[in-house]
Amino acid sequence: MFKKFFIPRLIQYFTVLFIGITLVFVIPRLLPSDPVATQLQRMTAQGQYLDPAAVEELRESLEELYGLKGGMLQQYLSYWKRLFSGDLGPSFTQFPTPVISLIKMSLPWTVGLLLASLSISWIIGTILGGVKVSFPNSLVARAMELVAMGMRPIPYYIMALVLLILLSFIFPIFPMAGGYSVGSKVGLNMRFIKDLLRHAFLPILSMVVLEIGGWFLQMRNVASNLVEEDYVVYAEASGLPKSKIVFRYIMRNAIIPQITGLGLNIGFIFGGALITEIVFSYPGMGTLLYSAILAGDYNLIMGINIFSIVGVSTAMLIIDLLYPLLDPRVRYQ
Amino acid sequence: MSILSVENLKAHYVTEKRRKITRVLAVDGVTFHINKNEIYGIAGESGCGKSTLLKAMSGLIKPPLQVLEGEVKYHFDDRELDILALRGEKERREIRGARISHIPQGSMSVLNPVRRIRKSFEDIVGTHLGIRGGSEFEELVKSHIEALGLDWNVMHSFPHQLSGGMRQRITIALATILKPDVIFADEPTTALDVVVQRGVVQLIKKIKQEQQNTMVIVTHDLAIHANLCDRLAIMYAGRIVEEANVDDMFQTPKHPYTEMLLNSLPTLGDRSVRESAPGAPPSLVNPPSGCRFHPRCPKVMEKCRLEVPELIEVESGHQVACFLQEGRVYEQTRELGANYH
Ligand SMILES: Nc1ncnc2c1ncn2[C@@H]1O[C@H](COP(=O)(O)OP(=O)(O)O)[C@@H](O)[C@H]1O
Ligand SMILES: [Mg+2]
Repeated sequence: MFKKFFIPRLIQYFTVLFIGITLVFVIPRLLPSDPVATQLQRMTAQGQYLDPAAVEELRESLEELYGLKGGMLQQYLSYWKRLFSGDLGPSFTQFPTPVISLIKMSLPWTVGLLLASLSISWIIGTILGGVKVSFPNSLVARAMELVAMGMRPIPYYIMALVLLILLSFIFPIFPMAGGYSVGSKVGLNMRFIKDLLRHAFLPILSMVVLEIGGWFLQMRNVASNLVEEDYVVYAEASGLPKSKIVFRYIMRNAIIPQITGLGLNIGFIFGGALITEIVFSYPGMGTLLYSAILAGDYNLIMGINIFSIVGVSTAMLIIDLLYPLLDPRVRYQ
Repeated sequence: MSILSVENLKAHYVTEKRRKITRVLAVDGVTFHINKNEIYGIAGESGCGKSTLLKAMSGLIKPPLQVLEGEVKYHFDDRELDILALRGEKERREIRGARISHIPQGSMSVLNPVRRIRKSFEDIVGTHLGIRGGSEFEELVKSHIEALGLDWNVMHSFPHQLSGGMRQRITIALATILKPDVIFADEPTTALDVVVQRGVVQLIKKIKQEQQNTMVIVTHDLAIHANLCDRLAIMYAGRIVEEANVDDMFQTPKHPYTEMLLNSLPTLGDRSVRESAPGAPPSLVNPPSGCRFHPRCPKVMEKCRLEVPELIEVESGHQVACFLQEGRVYEQTRELGANYH
């Protein structure tokens, strides 16, 4: 199994990482704009007087910082060298803070938001989908289906905006922005945790509400096919009670494609989390990326891209590796 | 003494698509009795309604399948019941698996792919006997599967780790663990290779001998019927056209369709390629009028297109639904008709 299952996945993982990170290197270099020139322009536009010698010196140090020194190959090699030593260069808007430490600060917020919303929506959506298939004609099941289909096309930012306006502007129950109240003491105490949860509530809710529908519909599709499977029909013909058939036969088998779906959608959901963060000014990677784009902070944008690629592919790899635990056909080939 | 009697059973598949209702007359007026301890065979080309008949007989009715008329009565030693009239799903469930059980088609994967074989046995034994694991469970299952020549170790396997033949043996063990009164086998040997087929037939014989159950074997393979069955019914387009002892059926077939089926059978030592039954089975959505076999029948008469022949007893225990068999009766009706005009 190791050879057949793990090796191809590991190869795939490293290939994706290599290509993704290389693209992050190539794409900015294909753009017509020159970040060094832009930066210099910005400095002179701010009214600073710089004599030409100083400008030349500045250009050189900027090129050094951006990794734009030397030929392409040389740049590419030093790009990888710096990556491996965890150096993504300094941020320009918050000079000289290294990009890596900015990312380190916002990463936990994004991971928390993602994990919470993903697990809640996946579990609830999966269970509801199973219920729908087991009692297809009940009123509740049909209502759920309608709601889920109606919600599916709503984009993340619309849902986030609606909840924000409704539950923190019109009815100010939840805070408008941020990850915790300004001036609160950070620490592991009830008060701070409560404050954290209050701030996280709306971002998580807006993602959960949107994603439950997707998991629900996927589960419904998978499980309604499973109902026709020989082993489910046979379980019915053997007089097994409905509860056993639903949990041990239908749901147990439907979990496998649900997990595949998790792997396939994680990238999309990650994107949704970034956008949701921006709407709620949540202090994660999304908000960081947004400000980096507004400020034209190249190093920061590149750093966030690299982290996103690594993060999403690693999550997919982990989900893939869960697979054999659930499917004995993979485990014992 | 009959253990199961089916009276005028009509079971149709009714589907609706864009306001258009389609009705497949899969079982359309079937009457027969099955005696206690016999092996009763049902034969016929694929698509003639054999599986549907079995479903209706075990009360597995769910959309799009509907039972329009008829009854399926079981006469167990301790109780009588019409399985189609049972109200609660719970009552039906108690009977299924315990009093009646199924041996499915050889190609089917009726074992849950993500659970070990043992779990399938636990589910059935636990549901019907209330024995949940433990030594009592192990003794019960072990003695049963070892009597059938299976090794206890297969219990720890997953279905995909076993060969098709082994899976079918396990399914048979599963279907017979509770010593059911009636066993339905739907194409139990189809899709298995010849050697495995022989093993499965032997296994079915063995179980019958030990448990003294009544069996209903459905297959299009007449060789299996010849080998296993006591009595045989031939189905055509949702109806039974002939029923007799297996020997009588093979020696003196009376319905032209039966003759056609038997002619398509290879005989020992005959190397010529046999033609399969010419023509195609009719659609069950718009079946032919009168006798449903008339478009393919080499001996078709005018009457066959208009009237439906009844299943009548022409010799002791030999019933046929064909106007050729009621020659005398036919002449009389014609005279009667002539007098009318
Ligand atoms: N679920 C279904 N919906 C509609 N028609 C069906 C369904 N299952 C079977 N049929 C039709 O009913 C007829 C009888 O099928 P079946 O009982 O499976 O025949 P057999 O077992 O003799 O091959 C066929 O014409 C088949 O197409
Ligand atoms: Mg069939």
